[in-house]
Amino acid sequence: MPVSTPERRIEQETYARWLAWGVLLGFGALVGTFFLYVTGLVPAGVAPERLPQLWGMSVGDYLAATGAPTGWSWVLRLREGDLLNLVGVAILASVSIVCHLRVLPLFVRSRERVFVAVCIAQVVVLVAAAAGVF
Amino acid sequence: MRLASLTRLAAATSLLAMPGLAFAARAPQGGGLPWWAWPLILFVTTFLMGIVAVVGGIGGGVLFVPIVGGFFPFHLDFVRGAGLMLALCGALASGPGLLRSGLASLRLAMPLALAGSIGGIVGALVGLALPTRVVQLALGVTVLLIAGLMWWTRNSGHDSRHAADRWALALGLHGKFHDPAVGHHVDWNVHRTHMGLAAFFGIGVVGGLFGLGAGWANVPALNLLMGVPLKLSVGTSGLAISIINTSAAWVYMNKGALLPILIAPSILGVMLGARVGVRVLKAIKASTARNVVIVVLVAAGIRSLMQGFGF
Repeated sequence: MPVSTPERRIEQETYARWLAWGVLLGFGALVGTFFLYVTGLVPAGVAPERLPQLWGMSVGDYLAATGAPTGWSWVLRLREGDLLNLVGVAILASVSIVCHLRVLPLFVRSRERVFVAVCIAQVVVLVAAAAGVF
Repeated sequence: MRLASLTRLAAATSLLAMPGLAFAARAPQGGGLPWWAWPLILFVTTFLMGIVAVVGGIGGGVLFVPIVGGFFPFHLDFVRGAGLMLALCGALASGPGLLRSGLASLRLAMPLALAGSIGGIVGALVGLALPTRVVQLALGVTVLLIAGLMWWTRNSGHDSRHAADRWALALGLHGKFHDPAVGHHVDWNVHRTHMGLAAFFGIGVVGGLFGLGAGWANVPALNLLMGVPLKLSVGTSGLAISIINTSAAWVYMNKGALLPILIAPSILGVMLGARVGVRVLKAIKASTARNVVIVVLVAAGIRSLMQGFGF
């Protein structure tokens, strides 16, 4: 019966290490920006006191009522506390992309073409989704 | 054993909280509670969900969407977006521990997650285009089917011997892992790989459509269809969710369907709960936790159906 080779353990441990750091970074950003938002230290574009009248709306109605951004335009409005929260969310949603890019050279080095292809394809799909292609 | 009792207690607490939340949610603007009360309630609820979800081998989203969609005052669009994000983050939080302990296989997760993430994009786009009432009804039916699937397969976890297929040999999908519960190493390989890839695409579609995450189907697909040992299936399912949900979550984010006041407390709660869940997973049989999840899902599925019919 085949067993895990040292190369396989290395790629798995590398992925785990980068995943752990990415999650820590994203988690930290999420906690920090949420604190700034709910305490009012960074004023929100949509005040929290207004939310009970808004959060029952569909996303289309909510966007129309608040002028909240779609796509990546939130990056241009990071001075608004609620949108600042999306920094942490974006980091957490990017961690898997970074981890795949980190283990890709390991698969290249061990000449595992199938996994090189899988890795590249996965990065392309996730980056396309992040870029708003779909 | 004590940990298993704690898990049951967490699920029972969630169930007991539902009638009160339903009453508050039906009243105008959430029963007159101040705005900050709902993030606090979300945090406590999702912490409990995080524990139950990891131990049950499902994404937190599968519990979050029907429960929060049914018992909280938020629109289903935002609940589905948050469900995807918290399922993603719960899986991310547990990922390093599962990989380092050998309870998840990166190689096994990667090709399946690729198929699932493509399906997730398709599902997210369809879900955001359908009327809310249709999504609510379909969600209720789906959640009840998930509960049924988990019930019928609750005792069918098996670690049978089988020959690896050509796809599995080409991808190198084999190895061994240490199962602390039985105290020895377990050899594993994979068969029916092409069917597994197709199943993960379909699971991704449903997950993206309802914001459910995908663990509810990942584990049966890995264990029953592909012949992966149950414990490795549970761990690898978590890792696959962390990749699959990323694609659909980006679609929801780009469409403006992520509400920060809902996202952050839910993610914090489920991430902290998931860390506790990984420890629980090592100590108990996965089937124990799955029975608890089934009960929670039935209650939440019935609530979704009632909402879909206008009750």
